[in-house]
Amino acid sequence: MKRFSLSDRMFDTFNTIFLVIILILIVYPLIFVLSASISDPTAVSSGRMWLWPVEITFRGYERVFSESSIWRGYGNTILYTLAGTLIHLLVLLPCAYALSRKELMAKKFILWFILFTMLFNGGLIPTYLIVQSLGMLNTMWAIVIPNVVGAWSILVARTFFHQSIPDQLVEASKIDGASDFYIFIRVVLPLSLPIVAVMALFHAVGLWNQYFNALIYLSDRDKFPLQLILREILVVNQMQLNDPAAGGGGESLVDQVQTAGLIKYAVIIVSSLPLLIVYPFIQRFFVQGVLIGSIKE
Amino acid sequence: MPVKRIGLLAVIVMLAGWLAACSNDDEGEVGGSEEAISNLNTEGMPIVDEPIQLEIFAGKAATTADDWNDVLLLNEYEEMTNIDITWNQVPADGLEERRNLALASGDLPDAFYAANLTISDIQTYGSQGIFIPLNDLIEEYAPNIAQVLEENPDIQSGITFPDGNIYSIPTVYAPDFQSLLIGAKGWVNGDWLEQLGMDNPETTEEFYEYLKAVKETDLNGNGENDEIPLSSVAEMDRIIHWISGAFGVQNKGQQHAMIDEDPDTGDLRFFPTSDAYRNMLEYLNQLYDEGLIEQSIYTLEVDQHLANAANNLYGAVQFFNPVELYGEEIGGQFIPGNALEGPDGTKMYTGIASPVRSLGNFVITSENENPEATLRWIDYFWSDEGAKMFFMGIEGVTYEETEDGPQLLEEITNDPDGLTLTQALAKYIINPGGNHPVMITDDYFTGSENSPLDKEAAEHIDPYLIEEIWPSFTYTEEESADITILEADLDKYISEMQAAFITGEQDFDQWDSYVETVENMKLDEYMEIQQAAYERYQES
Amino acid sequence: MRTARAEAHVAEKTRGYRIKKNFQRNWQLYVLLVPAIAYFIILHYIPMYGVQIAFKNFIATQGIWGSPWTGFDHFTRFFESYYFWRLLKNTIILSAYQLVLFPLPIILALSLHEVKKTMFKRWAQTLTYAPHFISVVVVVGMIVIFLDPTTGLVNRVIVALGGEAIPFLTSPDWFRHIFTWSGVWQTLGWSSIIYLAALSGVNPELHEAAKVDGATRIQRILHINIPSILPTIVVLFILNIGSFMTVGFEKVLLMQNDLNVSTSDVIQTFVYQTGLLEGQYSFAAAIGLFDSVINITLLVVFNYLARKLTDSSLW
Repeated sequence: MKRFSLSDRMFDTFNTIFLVIILILIVYPLIFVLSASISDPTAVSSGRMWLWPVEITFRGYERVFSESSIWRGYGNTILYTLAGTLIHLLVLLPCAYALSRKELMAKKFILWFILFTMLFNGGLIPTYLIVQSLGMLNTMWAIVIPNVVGAWSILVARTFFHQSIPDQLVEASKIDGASDFYIFIRVVLPLSLPIVAVMALFHAVGLWNQYFNALIYLSDRDKFPLQLILREILVVNQMQLNDPAAGGGGESLVDQVQTAGLIKYAVIIVSSLPLLIVYPFIQRFFVQGVLIGSIKE
Repeated sequence: MPVKRIGLLAVIVMLAGWLAACSNDDEGEVGGSEEAISNLNTEGMPIVDEPIQLEIFAGKAATTADDWNDVLLLNEYEEMTNIDITWNQVPADGLEERRNLALASGDLPDAFYAANLTISDIQTYGSQGIFIPLNDLIEEYAPNIAQVLEENPDIQSGITFPDGNIYSIPTVYAPDFQSLLIGAKGWVNGDWLEQLGMDNPETTEEFYEYLKAVKETDLNGNGENDEIPLSSVAEMDRIIHWISGAFGVQNKGQQHAMIDEDPDTGDLRFFPTSDAYRNMLEYLNQLYDEGLIEQSIYTLEVDQHLANAANNLYGAVQFFNPVELYGEEIGGQFIPGNALEGPDGTKMYTGIASPVRSLGNFVITSENENPEATLRWIDYFWSDEGAKMFFMGIEGVTYEETEDGPQLLEEITNDPDGLTLTQALAKYIINPGGNHPVMITDDYFTGSENSPLDKEAAEHIDPYLIEEIWPSFTYTEEESADITILEADLDKYISEMQAAFITGEQDFDQWDSYVETVENMKLDEYMEIQQAAYERYQES
Repeated sequence: MRTARAEAHVAEKTRGYRIKKNFQRNWQLYVLLVPAIAYFIILHYIPMYGVQIAFKNFIATQGIWGSPWTGFDHFTRFFESYYFWRLLKNTIILSAYQLVLFPLPIILALSLHEVKKTMFKRWAQTLTYAPHFISVVVVVGMIVIFLDPTTGLVNRVIVALGGEAIPFLTSPDWFRHIFTWSGVWQTLGWSSIIYLAALSGVNPELHEAAKVDGATRIQRILHINIPSILPTIVVLFILNIGSFMTVGFEKVLLMQNDLNVSTSDVIQTFVYQTGLLEGQYSFAAAIGLFDSVINITLLVVFNYLARKLTDSSLW
């Protein structure tokens, strides 16, 4: 036994070194942005700041939080993300579970039916017309419904159910007189928390970062999600200076544009931070889900 | 079974709804109903007796207020005119997508405002009857616009399509406002010239010598050899505006990116395959190769450019007013650059645009029940009084009359809350920023092109400005469909090859194969269409 | 004769009977499918009528149904275009490059799964996922900052070490590497989640049994962990293949400039530019259709291969 534990320990050491290297590569750019967001902008653009903040200033954050549109965008994004993720799960999970059951007839046909949508679509204009005729233009529904679930998620979730829910369990429940609804909600879902959490997170991140649907379907600024506002802020200085009729007047734009450069980093942090903060909580939930999953054996 | 039945039902319901939505008859008649006409006053204010509502799709510049319904100018104007506008504001980011979808889906507003429609859009949707012809309406209801067109036949012909119709009210830069027509200008660091004991370069050769000297000398005195001889923003285009005249390239102005007039024959010329163009690229390649042009020019962002300027790195720039951009201390060093003389003695300045800046910034759609009133709504801003209101705001609130004409109030130019001029103005007017369908004159324009320094720079190159500036050509329906495709292909290839030649990615011994590829991209078809358009332009 | 007909009749009856019986017993399962199926019909299948504009000359006033037919004109134009081969080549190379790096998240997941210290594991997971929360616009912004030829950190290091600055952002040779590896940076941790979830489902008894047999860690990874998650790997791999011709066009568009366009021009950016920006809907639809056909073909072929070789597949 000792012999193996030596090789095991060597494995552990190499494994840890490997992970630490990967972590450094992944984390460094993030630290850079974080430091840049609170450093003097000239120090950043001239390259004096390369790891830790230089000449700390919070002007960027002050400017970002003084914009009422950012707060509103935040609120909208949170709403769209929560509502969208909930609807996503309500559509995805029942479908994936049903598809994982061998009693289901025409499974192959239904799978193809779903898969085909991944490969083939009618294009933007007909989709736009449908969204329009459903009365969803300029509403939250235009953000959460058109991409509510993808073939990809259904297939992955189905594979999970297929592998981790033993047939005997379902059959036993059926013999006990449980209906399929009951089995799905009371037996299968509690055993599937890892996949529920993973799928919810996947979709939530997509919703949080998406802007294209908002760009196409929303016209009220009050309804814009954060990403759209963010894009607006990031392109403002560019637009302003490329548009001759927009040249300001009588004062230097340098300060203005440098603050804009500073805002850029602050906005990155502000828009990404909520997910980064929320994630560890969900991760704990992951772990619980996994524990429950292993107890069942 | 339930699955199938519900699925089928959904299909039927959807199809029915969709077909109903699409079967709107499009028999849009031009001109408003009698009812609309009787409500209209042909002169003076209000424009309509009974208030009317219009829905307008508007391209919103980021510099303007979030909600145009809160802008003083538009609210005052609504009271004056009795026309209440629902602004469907679309940010510049995403404007093209939203505009194209609105047009393709048939979900039409009453008008498109500052939406940057392309010439081919106007032609396509005009001939389909989605945009209504405005000729007669302008005659009858838009005296101010009609007057401008009458006084400037160039503008009139520039916005008239081959079918004889005018579909849009353009953005016009007053033909005598040269500083604005030129836009960004070339500037040379005067202090550095002095330090080097050189004169402001007059020829491409002298310009090269100067840039080279900048590269090799620590002119900003920081002990590092970090000077950047020549810079600009937005890739190479602006620098080319400065240089191209010396090689006789693009000698009919900026509206045409691929054609100009052959100086020898006087015929229409496709210049990207000409020797003159090649000479220009070789010159630029030399500059780039020797590090005389900022090496990151193709990806340079404005903030980086300004950061470099703040460190006093630049020997010459082709950009907007340096004092306003870089501040007095750094920007004050710069003096207006010359129009340069080329190796063969050609000396002209071609970086100037046609007064018809862009066509597609105001069109009225077939959905509009009050086209007369809508046109009158925009026409007022073409009058002197209206223009003053549009650019300066309301007297006593944003400006006051002085001996030198109207001046913005101190609290606007020097906002107590530290807002910039643009930000301070956003509450009151929808300018600066955006392509408004009005005529911009130096009487009221508040942008930097109206500054004394810019005007001086414009006068400096005035003797060498090209005389004739072609406006964008207009095409027939058939031509339009073809040329959109041909031009897209050619333009893409030529701009990427231009970059490749300048940066040395592509050798000049590949020139012949480049010319051959261009010719294979149906160049003759393209030129045939342009020739027809050119002949029409000459006749008008 | 009569008996044969009667037999057929009986067979049909039993088949119909079986279907009916199945519905009666499992109707709730079918109800569970309804929301998803309805969604796919309404938002995917109904809009598919729009595909016809690839064979038409789309005119807005006449709608999709009313526009005149042009046959294969748009396809011919695309195939004869100067850009066709370049677009195809660039798209394939970029996709293949990304596909080659497909195992990286699996390696990370296997490695993370072996970590016993919970604190380190949790931190490592959280940190590797972090880049995924950043939007593409921002990632490209960061790429520009780091790789700028004069001020970028990478070039500063190269110059400090005596090298010559590399114009990463404008070089056609570098575009593919930067695009792909920045993608790896962003999605590595995130993509590993799904494998970690799969690994957590591996039966611990297998490991106990292997330990008793004296298997080393590496042996257990190779012979227990990897085979256990193989179905997940296969499914994800085939799904990746199914979107082979689909490269993240938004990021490509943001990274594209006149200088690197010879390698960064891909089918999807071309579709976006010609379609939504230039309004040539029919032409864009034709190219999009071409793209879809390739994707479908690849998917079918690889699924077939997967079923033959590994016994797991999508269908």
